[in-house]
Formats: sequence, C-alpha cells, structure tokens
Amino acid sequence: MTAQTATRPDSGRQQSAREERGNRKRTTPFPLLRGLLPLVVLLSVWELAGSPGSPYFPPPSTWGSALIALWENGVLLAAVVATLTTFSIALGAATVLGAGVGLVVGGSPAADRALGPTFEFARAMPPAAMVPIATLLLGYDETMKVTVVTLAAIWAILLNTRAGVRRIDQTLLDAARSLQLGKLDRIRKVIVPALLPAIFLGVRVAAPIAVVITLLVEILTNVEGVGALIAQSQRTFQPARVYALIVVAGALSFLVNAVLGAIESYVFRYRPSTAGGGE
Amino acid sequence: MQASDQPITQDAPTADRTEPQAQVKRKVTFQCRNLTVELGSSEGATCICRSVNFDVREGEFISIMGRSGSGKTTLLRILGGLLAPTPDSSVRYYGERVEGPPPGVITVFQNYAASLLPWRTVEKNVALGLEGKVGREEARERVADALAMVGLGKRAKDYPWRLSGGMQQRVQLARALAMRPSVLLMDEPFGALDAMTKTSLQDELLQVYERTGATVVFVTHDIDEALYLSDRVLVLQGDPSTIGESLPVHCSRPRHQIETKQSEGFLALRRKVYEAIMQRHE
Repeated sequence: MTAQTATRPDSGRQQSAREERGNRKRTTPFPLLRGLLPLVVLLSVWELAGSPGSPYFPPPSTWGSALIALWENGVLLAAVVATLTTFSIALGAATVLGAGVGLVVGGSPAADRALGPTFEFARAMPPAAMVPIATLLLGYDETMKVTVVTLAAIWAILLNTRAGVRRIDQTLLDAARSLQLGKLDRIRKVIVPALLPAIFLGVRVAAPIAVVITLLVEILTNVEGVGALIAQSQRTFQPARVYALIVVAGALSFLVNAVLGAIESYVFRYRPSTAGGGE
Repeated sequence: MQASDQPITQDAPTADRTEPQAQVKRKVTFQCRNLTVELGSSEGATCICRSVNFDVREGEFISIMGRSGSGKTTLLRILGGLLAPTPDSSVRYYGERVEGPPPGVITVFQNYAASLLPWRTVEKNVALGLEGKVGREEARERVADALAMVGLGKRAKDYPWRLSGGMQQRVQLARALAMRPSVLLMDEPFGALDAMTKTSLQDELLQVYERTGATVVFVTHDIDEALYLSDRVLVLQGDPSTIGESLPVHCSRPRHQIETKQSEGFLALRRKVYEAIMQRHE
C-alpha cells in the first residue's frame, strides 16, 4: 500500500523537475555564448584599434597565423601534450597523496597534532619559491615539474579530505560495524565513498592551481610545455605567438574544468539534481 | 536480581521474578551485571550508568525507558558492542563477553538518513552486510525477502533520497533483517517519524517480530509505544542511572492499536511507567 501511494508524489516531483529544466533551456538558449560576449567585444575593439606591427598589442587576427605556424611544425602539439602530462600526473598524485594523508590526519587527533603546524607552514609557502630548490635537487626535467605542481595542488585536497573525515556521522560508522563489516570493508565500502564528495571538492579547487603552477614552472625553468613556449616566444620578440599561447593556456584550463565537471556528474549521479532536493 | 555470573542456560529461580512468561524458561540472551559506563570528555569522565543489572531472554521484546540523558542509548550501544563499559562490568551475549558487535546482533538507529549509504540503491544498502559472507544468489534472495517483509519490494532500485522518512527507516530495518538477526537493538527507531507513519511501522515491527522470533531491545521515550510493543519495560532512574523498575506487560498478542491501548491493564501500566519515569532521584 505504501509503495503505491508514495510513487505518485515522487514521479510528480520528477516531472516538475524535468519541466523546470526545459523552461530554463528555453529562456537562456546559449548561456555559454552569452557569457563569452564581453570577451568578443574586447577582442573586436582590439582588432579594429590595433596595428598589425605593434610589438605590444598585435591584433587577434595575427595570433591565428602564429598559432597555425606552431601547429604545422608540431611544436604546439608537443608543448600541449607535455603540459597536460605534467598537469595530469601531478593532479593524480596530489589526489592520492592528499586524500590518503587527509584520511589519516582527519581520523587520528595525534597525527593531526603532530603534522598540523607543518601543514600550515608548508601550505603558506608560495609554490614558485620551491622552484629553485626543486631544480637544485631534481634538475630541469619532468620529475621536477611534477613534484612542484603536486606540492602546490595537494593542500586543497588534503585539507578538504581532513574536514570530510571529521564530518562523517558516527551513526554511519556504527551501522557498518553493527553489520559486521571488517575494518578494510568499512574503509572501502563506507568511509571512502562517504569522503568522495569532499575529496572531489578539493580536486575542483586544486585543478586550476595545478594548471597555473604547471605553466609557471615551465615559464621559470624552460622545461618543455606551453609555459616554456610562451617564455621563448617572449624572449624572441614574437608577441602574436605569446598572445596565441595565452589563449591556448586559457582553453586548456577551460577543458580541464569541463572534464572534471563531467566526471563529477558521473560519479555523483546517485545524488538528487539541484532542482529536486532531497528532504 | 542476582549480581553473580551464572551459566547461561541455567534458569536462576530468583533472577526472573519479573519475567512475564515465567512458565516458559528461555535462554538468557544478554546478561548484564554490575554494568557501569563512564563517558570521557576533556573535563574528565562522567558516570552515565552505575551497577546496572538485567537479563534479556531469548525471544523477549524489551523496552528501555527513562528521561532524556538517562543513558538509554548508551546502554543499547553497549549491548550492540559499539561502546565499552568500565572493565569491571560484565556484559555477556549467550555467555560470551561482548567485545565488539556480536554476530547476529544488529542495531537499528534513529537517524535513518545518516545510517543508510546515499550512494547505494535500496537493495544494495540492504545487501551491505551480506556481501562476501553469503553467496550472490542467497544474498539476492535474502534482500528480496527482507524488502518484501517491510513492503518495499517495488523500491529496490531507488536511491534512498527518493524515499520518505518512514520508507528509509523501513530500508534500515530490512538491512538488519537480511542479516537474519537473533537480536534487534532499536534506538528510538520511530522517534523522527510522524504519528501515522509511526503507528503503521509499530504494527509492521510486531509482525516482523512474530515472524522472525528475534529478540528485540527497544529504546524509546514514548510510553504508549513501549507498552504497545513490549513484553517488559525497563525504566532507568537516577543520575548516574540504574534500573529503577522492570515492569511486565501482560497484554495479549496480537495487539491492536485501539483495543490494546484502551484496555484497563494497559492504562494502569501506563500510569505506573509514567510515575516511574517522572520520579525524582533521592
């Protein structure tokens, strides 16, 4: 009796949510394009006002040809691949390490007391300041890049995970113990899934930081990547290339964000959509 | 009640004066002797219960009542092996010292939302305790049986947030039932539900109790609920608390929401329990 009476209001809610979503689509057909409008206006003014030979403000039309030239000799693709590789490895390492350490520190007050001040100190240190030490210790290579970016990206994930562990409801842990779940199963089936939203929030915060620091390290050290290419272009007086590569960097950042958004909505597909609401 | 440890199967003649079905000698499921609980905090330990003695017999439905803060939930957590009493306390489950949740003893919590895994569907929530312990086929059968028993067979594939509070609590009950428990420990399971849902869940619980033969220890602050469901009501009194009263409920089963609650025996007992709870210490 109960199952039947309750499906009705539920399906009704679902329907209204769908309608709501449909309405929103109708009122704002191209939210993305509308958001890009200020940028389009800026670039148009720039194009019309600038002169093609300007050493500081080459008009946007010249960026395209610079980019095509870079693409044709394969330099651009190699640089993008190098940057994305560093970024991905570093963000992956930061996620695993940050979530792992955050889990331990959040779960153990003793570990938190022992490591807390060190974290606060290390977190406040600007990642760029680590570059000279990193190059000294590791040399000018991929490992150095990954290390610096990982250290820059780890904090958001670590601290979010630590906070997430403290927020886990005791009832959830008690329920798992009462159902005879062993320690490993409790971590695997209960604690880690319960922490995923917090970990993912950390990753969303850490990802743009990782992009910025990857580019920064490349600019500072000239190790292969989009950042290094920007620095080279600047040193060889090719302003159109510099601007074109900055656009590429922006696009990479945009892409990273979109990919993470897609992963998030897949992983958390069990959650009510923001339109619905649980309770 | 006696304060000494006794062999489990022996029926001590003096220990169960309050046993409602004294003619049926049943095994002692839980035996608590000299049970003292101290909860530590930064300002030092607070004594919650002192020298609590009671038995729970196989197949019995017992309610624990008392004012808020009297340690009802604490007592249940100790029976469930989720909290340790002081070392000189003795809590035994079929003769074995309780150290961690005993197999076959499942706790059902008041906060159903915090107790279910939101990333699992209803059926996967119910299967949580079975995974890796019974075969896949058996697990599926047990999950289906448990969900049918609480009337949620059709909602197996839904996520918990799609269900009402009463249904979510049913899922938690089904999750416990899928374990084929010999004891259900229920911590104010219907406390957060509206009155209508509450009464229908009470009746469902009684049906489940009849069908499974499980022993139930039920914590509640609702006198009617305690009397309606139980064979015996324990009232915690004082601070730190002890068992003040152990009152048998002589209403016949099956019980009826109107008739049982209007019977003279019920009303007399209701008054007695109320006075026992409200009695000031000293």
